[in-house]
Formats: sequence, structure tokens, C-alpha cells
Amino acid sequence: MTTTGLRPRPVLALVAANLRRHTRDRVGLFFMVVMPFVSIVFVGMALGGGTAGSSRLPVGVVAEDSGPVSTALLAELRRHPDLEVTTMTSAAELRSGVREGSLAAGLVIPSGSTRLDLVVTETNGSGMAARSAIDVAVSKVAAVEEATRAARTAGATPEQAAAYVRQAQAESGRVAVKDTSTAAGDPRGFAYTAPANLLLFTFINSMAVAAALVESRRLGMLQRALTAPVRHRSVLLGEALSRFLVAGAQAALIMAVSVLAFGVHWGDPLGVAAVVGTFALVSTGAAILVGTLLRTPDQAPAIGPPLGVVLGMLGGCLWPRESSGDVLNAVGHLFPHAWGMDALLKLAVPGTGIGAVLPQLGVLAAMAALLLGASLVLFGRRTRALG
Amino acid sequence: MTALETASVPAATATPALACRGLSKRYGDVVAVEDVGFAIAPGQAYGLLGPNGAGKTTTISMLVGLLRPDSGTVLVGGVDLAADPTRAKAKIGYVPQEIALYPELTGRENLRFFGRLFGLPRRRLAARIDEVLDLIGLTDRADTKLGTYSGGMKRRINIGAALLHRPEVLILDEPTVGVDPQSRKAILDGVERLVEEGMALLYTSHYMEEIERVCERAAIIDHGRIIADGTRRELVSLVGTADKVELVLDGDVETAFAKLRAVEGVVEAARTGASSVRLIAEGGRYLLPALITAVEGSATVTATQVIEPDLEATFLHLTGSTLRD
Repeated sequence: MTTTGLRPRPVLALVAANLRRHTRDRVGLFFMVVMPFVSIVFVGMALGGGTAGSSRLPVGVVAEDSGPVSTALLAELRRHPDLEVTTMTSAAELRSGVREGSLAAGLVIPSGSTRLDLVVTETNGSGMAARSAIDVAVSKVAAVEEATRAARTAGATPEQAAAYVRQAQAESGRVAVKDTSTAAGDPRGFAYTAPANLLLFTFINSMAVAAALVESRRLGMLQRALTAPVRHRSVLLGEALSRFLVAGAQAALIMAVSVLAFGVHWGDPLGVAAVVGTFALVSTGAAILVGTLLRTPDQAPAIGPPLGVVLGMLGGCLWPRESSGDVLNAVGHLFPHAWGMDALLKLAVPGTGIGAVLPQLGVLAAMAALLLGASLVLFGRRTRALG
Repeated sequence: MTALETASVPAATATPALACRGLSKRYGDVVAVEDVGFAIAPGQAYGLLGPNGAGKTTTISMLVGLLRPDSGTVLVGGVDLAADPTRAKAKIGYVPQEIALYPELTGRENLRFFGRLFGLPRRRLAARIDEVLDLIGLTDRADTKLGTYSGGMKRRINIGAALLHRPEVLILDEPTVGVDPQSRKAILDGVERLVEEGMALLYTSHYMEEIERVCERAAIIDHGRIIADGTRRELVSLVGTADKVELVLDGDVETAFAKLRAVEGVVEAARTGASSVRLIAEGGRYLLPALITAVEGSATVTATQVIEPDLEATFLHLTGSTLRD
């Protein structure tokens, strides 16, 4: 047996032929070049539009008096980094704004009452996020009120009470920061839909190009390639590299356009490259697995993209994760999209580096290894030949 | 005169372009191929005949390295396929029965793909593609997508893809299935030219006349075994030299039939209908005047047909089926 290693020419021949085939598939190109941006724009606008820098949620407030609670609450809401507060004159106007979508949520502060009226559309992701932010602000004001009352009850002087209040505000602030990071941490608008659609379409289009692999098998191209003086693993590598490059090109296109057209901030380039590259490997493994298991090319678009959509739903790629609930989010983490979203959203937070997403990267890498390993073994068995 | 009739057995001392010995392949209890062996010299065309399921494709798959034999050896230009598949495969040009080409690519792009698989350098490949396109007569359609080609044109590209690296052995598996007469002629002319230039050829086909035209020697394979191997004359002689003569008579057929049986040279006679008889006669084609004379007075011969033994008859005789079964 010879010890000839992998020769690049046959591998590159397979890659060039496969990429050329994909560029001539007009429907495939439409789904790769146009559809992701249609989705980013429309879903991004539905989630509040804007980019990471201007993604504050519009919230309307009707304060029926100008007492200390109303003033404190209004000030607290205005201080919240995720909220754009507009004071309104009537509850009817506020409800109309929420109903029409110009406001993510509304808050009515009744005169002389400790009961607040929150107006929000529960099915709306922005509304859910605004509600969380309002809850945080209300909690902080309530903490101040509680501290003041406790100080007075204990017989504190006004100076001492003020000191206690400052202390309570500080405590409340710490609580608020913690709360913000869990309840309203995900960005909105294009800052959310760009990474979501990157994962969604990278996976879906990888599934769709699996049809080309089935077609190659059906035509006998792979078998014929193996009658050439080509190592079996060269054919495997050529096919895998073709799919990886398609997945990578899809991801790179979405990143480039989202930066240039929507001003999306992706974060640490090294971290983003690692996450996207690993996710592209996951997609490649899934594509080869599907391309190996299916019998006809028509089955690939019928099975692959729907599967990609379902995994995207579970992973928070179609709507904000916060509106999915804990159970669905937990189920989603059985699949790669949720881990990809976790990593990309974390990287988008300023100051976050690759070190912060190592756990997610590890899970994605394990999934990629599992899928690629299984798919290549199976694919290799189905195309076994001397060589 | 056909190629099979003019064949000469290659010199035993020459290194065969393709030789196999003792090839066997089993799938569980099913024997797909058993103890198959033959040798093809450079410049020789060899036919492989067999009904569907006889083991032709399995044999070819082992010869081109797609299937590992359970036992036996394959030597390509003296190189053991199992020991050095890369070097052995570089000497083979394989044309599968299916059109194994990318329909989204042009004819030229498909050829380029296969040329690169065989490791041809860019410049040499470009020149070679032009030569092959000229050989298969598709230069003017080279840059249109394969999906727009006719079946015959696709077949020609399918063959061209196997010629780019100038193989020592060309293996054609049913290369003319579903093609128009014009493309079939072009394919057969091209194949004959390649053999004349010194390429060894292994050819399988359902069309007996193609085997008779192109191949000097042929093997008949059935149930995974080669049951006959030789030149056309050698194969045909297996069913004897007697011709089949069919006559239609008008008159006293019973008496005429008795007279025909008595004619010298007739070895077998049978009534095949109310007015028709079939005779098996040595040199039957030359016996017709004597047969017509013999029945005079009892009946007149209104129609005759003489069927000489051929590969089809040999095949039928040996396998009990026709090639298209």
C-alpha cells in the first residue's frame, strides 16, 4: 500500500465544482443572499428596530400627580438604560400607543395610590422586555420607600433616615444591576435579529445544499471520483470543505451586511470568528449527515430547512428567548442554535472577549465533533472504495 | 468482416494492459462473481457479454477499485490494484453506465473537474480538454450547460471525461444505452480509433452487433462465472457450424417434409406450423437449391430464411436467455 498523502488538487477540484454548482442555483442564492436580510429587517423592526446603540424601548408614563413616589419612579425609569420614557397626559392615549406598537409598554401612576397600572401586550417581545425593565425600576423605588419608612419607624432623625435611604438606594442599585442582566439583558432590534438570522440561515442553507450531496451520490459522481487516483479521504475532505465554505460564506455575508447596513456591533472579532466558525462546522456536519442519509435530492429541501427552522425556534432565532419561557429555553439548549445565540449575544456586550464564551464554544465544538465524526464515518461507508 | 473475426491472440510475453485472475465476490450466501479471469493486451478490445445480474457490473467495480474482491488479483499495466490503487487507477479510464456528470456545469467544466481529479496540470489540462472535445465532436457545445445536452451528447462527454489522462485501459460499461444512431456511430468510431492507437478496451453492451464490431475477443459471463471466452469464430463454433433453414411450403407438406429430411446434410427437421418446417443443416445456406429440388412434385417453396450461427445464438445456447432478458 502506498503512503501517498492528501493531494490538494483533487480536493480543490471537488470544492471548485461544488461551489460553482451552488452559484448556479438561483433559488439557493435567493435564500442565501436575500432571505436572511428580509428576515433581519422585518423581525428586527417588529422587535423595536434600531441597532444595539439605539435599541431603547419606548415606554409611556402617565403620572396623575407629582408626589414624591411619582417623581422618584419617573426619575428611576428615565435612568434605566433600556428605556426611552415619554410622559403622556391620558391613560387612553397610552393604551392606544401600546396597542398600535409605538410604545413597548405603558405605566399609569394613579394619584394617591400605591397600585400601579402596567399596560403591555404580553405576546410582544419588546413588551416583555419593557415590563422587566419597569419591574426593576419599581423595585428600586419600593426599596427606597421601604427603607425610609423603616428608618422613621425605628425613630431615626431625618438626617439618619436620609443616610439609610442612600444605603437602601445603593443596595437596591446592586439588586437592579443583577436583575437587569437576567431579565432584560438581550439586545433588541437588529442587534438581536442579526446574530439570530446568522445562525438560522447558516444552518438552513447548509441543510438545503445537502441536496447537492444527495444529487452527487445519485448521479454516481462520488463513485466515479473514487475511480480516479484519489484517496478516499480526499473525496470526504473535498465534500466537507465545500459545505463548510458555503456555511462560512453565508455567515460572513450576514455579518458584513449587518455591520454596514444596520450598524450591528458583533463584539470581539476573535470570539465571533470562533463561535461562527464552530457553528459552521456544526452545520457542515448536519449537512453531510442529511446528505448521506437521504435518498433523493428532493428530500433535502423538504426535511432540512424545516428542521433548521424548528431548531431556530428552540434556540431563540425566530423570536426573543425571553418570550419562550424557561422550559422551551432549556429544551433549546439540547441543540446548537441556543448555544450559538448565548455566545453571540454575550460577545455583543462591550468588553466581552472570547474567554467569556468558552463554555458555549466548548459545547458547540463537541456538537461539531459529534456531527462531523458521525456524518463522515457514515458518508465514508457509503462511498467506500479502494484508495 | 468484424473485429471479432479478425482477432489475433496477443503475445503471451507482452505485459497485459489489464489482467485479472480468480476474482470472486460474495454477498452473504449469494455468489456475485466467481473465479473470473482474463487479460487484455494493449491495443486489444475485449467484450464482456452477460444478461442482467450476470456479474458484469460487479466485475467492473472490482476492476476499477470501487469494490474490494473477496479473492483474486487485478493488475493494471502490471501494477497490482490492491497494493497500489493510486498508481493503478491512474492507468484506467472508466466510463460508467450512468451519466456521471454535473448537469449544472458546462461540458468543458465537467471535463476540467475530471482532469483535475487525475492531477493534470492546468495548462496541459486546457490543451487536453480541447483535444478530447475535438475527438468527441463537441467543441462547439463545450461551453453550454450539460443540462441542455441531448442524451447522446451527454454520453460523449461521459466518455471524454475518461480520456483526459490518456489511460492505458478504457473500460466502457454500456456506453451507448439510450443514444441516437448518429451519436452511437460517433461513439463507436471514436472507440475504434482509440483501440487502433494502442489503448486497451473492455467493453460491455447489450448490443451484440457493437461487440462484434468493436471487440476482437469476448467473454460470456453468466451467474458470476465466465462460461466462454474467445474470438467470434471460437465462440460461434461452440454451437456448431450448422445453419438453421426455415421454409414455407405450398402443396403436400407431409410428403415434402419427408423428402426434406432425407436430403444429405440435414441433421434435424421439425414441423413448425401447418405449412412451415425448420431444418438444421450443415452448410444450410449452400443447400437451398437441393432442398427446393427435393420437394418438387409434392410442394413448392414459397419462402425461405437461413439463419447462420452468431454470437446471439451462441449466447442463447450457452445461457438460455437473450441479452435483453
